[in-house]
Amino acid sequence: MRNTIACSFFFAVLIESGCTKTPEPTKAVAVSGKVEDLPGHESLRVDNSHKEGPRTLSAESYIRSYLFLFGGLSPIDSQTALRGSGATVDTTLFDTWSDYLGALGMPDYREDIARSSQTNALMIAAFERIGVALCDRAAEHDLKNGATPATVFTFKKTAALPTRAEFDERFDGLHRRFLGYPAKLAPTDRSSRFFTLLTNASGATTDPTIRLTGQDAGWTAVCYGLIRHPEFHLY
Amino acid sequence: MRSNIAAFAACLCLTPLSAQADRSLSEYRYFRSLSVDLQGRIPSVDDVAAFEDSKFDTDAWIDARLAGTAYAQRVRQIYMDLLRLEVPSTFGFVRSMAVLRRNEILRADGSTVYVYFRNGQRRQNVATDGTFCLAQADTGQMYPRIGPAVGTAKGISDAALNAATVLVKPWWLYRDYTAANPTDRYDATTWATKYPQFRPVDTVLVEKNGQPTTSVRICKEEAQTPVTGTVYKTGRTSNTTPADRLVPLPGDTAFARDSGGKAIACGSDTAAFYAADCGCGPGLERCHPGNANNNDPAAFVLPTRSPLGFEAPFDATNAQQSQWSRFWWSEEAKHFIDSVVLEDRDFRDLLTGREDWVNGPIAHFYKQIQGATCCDNGVYFGLTEQKPLFDTTAVPSDLLPHDTTAWRAVADRGNLASGILTMPVFLTKYGSRRARAHVLYNAFLCKQFVAESVELTPSTEPDLTKRSGCSTCHSTLEPLSAYFARVRESDWLYLPESNFPTVETKMCNKTSLNITCRSFYDPAFSSESGAKLYGAYSSAENTAAGPKGMGEYIVKHPDYASCVVNQVASSLLGRALNEDDKARKDSWASDLVSSGYRMRSLVRSIVKSDAYRTSNNLSSSEWRGDAQ
Repeated sequence: MRNTIACSFFFAVLIESGCTKTPEPTKAVAVSGKVEDLPGHESLRVDNSHKEGPRTLSAESYIRSYLFLFGGLSPIDSQTALRGSGATVDTTLFDTWSDYLGALGMPDYREDIARSSQTNALMIAAFERIGVALCDRAAEHDLKNGATPATVFTFKKTAALPTRAEFDERFDGLHRRFLGYPAKLAPTDRSSRFFTLLTNASGATTDPTIRLTGQDAGWTAVCYGLIRHPEFHLY
Repeated sequence: MRSNIAAFAACLCLTPLSAQADRSLSEYRYFRSLSVDLQGRIPSVDDVAAFEDSKFDTDAWIDARLAGTAYAQRVRQIYMDLLRLEVPSTFGFVRSMAVLRRNEILRADGSTVYVYFRNGQRRQNVATDGTFCLAQADTGQMYPRIGPAVGTAKGISDAALNAATVLVKPWWLYRDYTAANPTDRYDATTWATKYPQFRPVDTVLVEKNGQPTTSVRICKEEAQTPVTGTVYKTGRTSNTTPADRLVPLPGDTAFARDSGGKAIACGSDTAAFYAADCGCGPGLERCHPGNANNNDPAAFVLPTRSPLGFEAPFDATNAQQSQWSRFWWSEEAKHFIDSVVLEDRDFRDLLTGREDWVNGPIAHFYKQIQGATCCDNGVYFGLTEQKPLFDTTAVPSDLLPHDTTAWRAVADRGNLASGILTMPVFLTKYGSRRARAHVLYNAFLCKQFVAESVELTPSTEPDLTKRSGCSTCHSTLEPLSAYFARVRESDWLYLPESNFPTVETKMCNKTSLNITCRSFYDPAFSSESGAKLYGAYSSAENTAAGPKGMGEYIVKHPDYASCVVNQVASSLLGRALNEDDKARKDSWASDLVSSGYRMRSLVRSIVKSDAYRTSNNLSSSEWRGDAQ
């Protein structure tokens, strides 16, 4: 990815420069390998610094962060909470941590299985599944049941769907919690997009058999969007 | 494109954090990176709020984190990824001396009782010498070494049962097992908090009738407590198998004939085979429990994976008794790395330090169990008691096997100790001398053994430093592996020079290289004048230097400091270092050396560097290829 972007940048500069100059087809050019030796490129700025793509959170950091977000529970206690207990065990929401460790890229030293430091389809699917579990359980706890202390949704729920201003304030808190910076600094207008998401998801269903409905479902969808965001998995 | 150029320029021209509350996106991302690497997790809302405070001091924040356990675990992660210091179950640490198995015995009243025993235990009763302590005449059954009893059980009388067995309150059930009348029995509720991960399997805690086990019935010989016994000489010249038993009745070996009546340490495996007056010690502390009579019975409940530390397991399963040792060997190495980093000791101690940190299970292993691999045929070379790599007198005496979270520093393990190189986890994970040398060469010198494009021709040359096609790698590898010639393969048993000269001339030579000699001496390098210790042929000097010599060789190697920098920096930067990094790499290596090889100094330099600040200098939209 780094090379691709660096090359794209280099060739884009070449093309851009080539379009603004009159070609001199008959003149031989000594090829030195340096961009500045090319005619017309003498004063062109060349960015030859490293272009570093993001790193994947190690599986340990990911799980620690996940547990921290979920109220600081131990792995086994969090597993119980995510699955539910007694008659309400819901294995469609969360299996067991042991089922996910390999997919999350965790090395197995005993079996000489190396750490997976690059994302792959299975890892993304695992992020998806356990991220959804966290958001669902947190929404049940914080929004639907109003239990305290809240884990993820620490704001006060509005009586009706939040206005844009109310949303922005609450979304900023979630954005900081998951991605570590204010939503206003996001490269694009993230608040608008997520407000649309909340609005659409809130009205998606009123079926009472669905676990989360209305505004709760909307905020849960926002949570999905943040915990599955590349900026959450990468750093 | 032009906006991207501006973004790149902004990233590249990062200035040190200002005292202003308004942070840029790059600064937030830098802080998040610091949190992930030094706190082990993404920053909390409170962390972010603190960062936004105009008085926030990034340098002070970094320094505070560099005194925390999460930072130590981050560095440990780098070296655990390289060394993978967890031993697979294929390494079965099953030594007769250290394993108590049990048979289920029918009593005259129709009830059953478990009777614990050691395989091969010597007894003065001819009917049971070398096998289970109850004979067919008493129980109606015969007992194989491993597996269920054979024959139809008949109820044993109380008198016969009591004549051969006793009741003991063992260490795995009682905290105060050395007391005259132990009372502090295992309690699942309270011990789970006080002694995490100390949990015997249910079948060891409960009798067949469902009642809690308050004491175990064990063969009398196994319950003996002396520290020293005597070599038992029976006068029998060979092994025979009487009709009423499945295990042969042992005859006297040459060692027994020569040493009958002489003293022998009960803490060695040799004692179990040669002494009828050695047992499992007070509270059976020299033995692990087992819930059956199979090769490696279950004993304790342990996590299969605990990447966040053993106090935060992901599951709990019934584990074989051997897993108890393997699990704690690994924890010892992890704690050792953590402590070297956290206490900001000389990082070379990882390979050369004589200090260590032990908890209850590790202390128990070193005090009571490590002798279990000594000495097999070593007795014929005068080795009847181990010369331990971890001096048992240095083990804290007040630690009990249950003290899983009480880690104590041991300032000096003894003159044979050398960092992780002499720890059981390293010596068993990397069983062969060459494997040990190879992984160290790779992890600490950043070098690989890569064969050149040479033709492999048929050869009978045993010296791989000379054989065509092999010498490319082995001319380096063989002398390095010679450093481990005095530590038996897949074992931690040290072979002292006094018992095992590098060239043995008295007992072994090419024409008299019997199985005893072949246990320690290499037929390929034996001559009429003597036999050479396995692995020693390429360097007598390195053989004499031992693992300590290997540690010294690596830390004095010119590539050591730069390799440490390479491993740590590439992990923190998330990429391999390349030619463009040469200047900063040299600078970091120089700093590492001048700081006295302190990891804290190196990590501080790296995370404050521009390379780290810009190690993630692509925007979110670049990552995804679109905007979100």
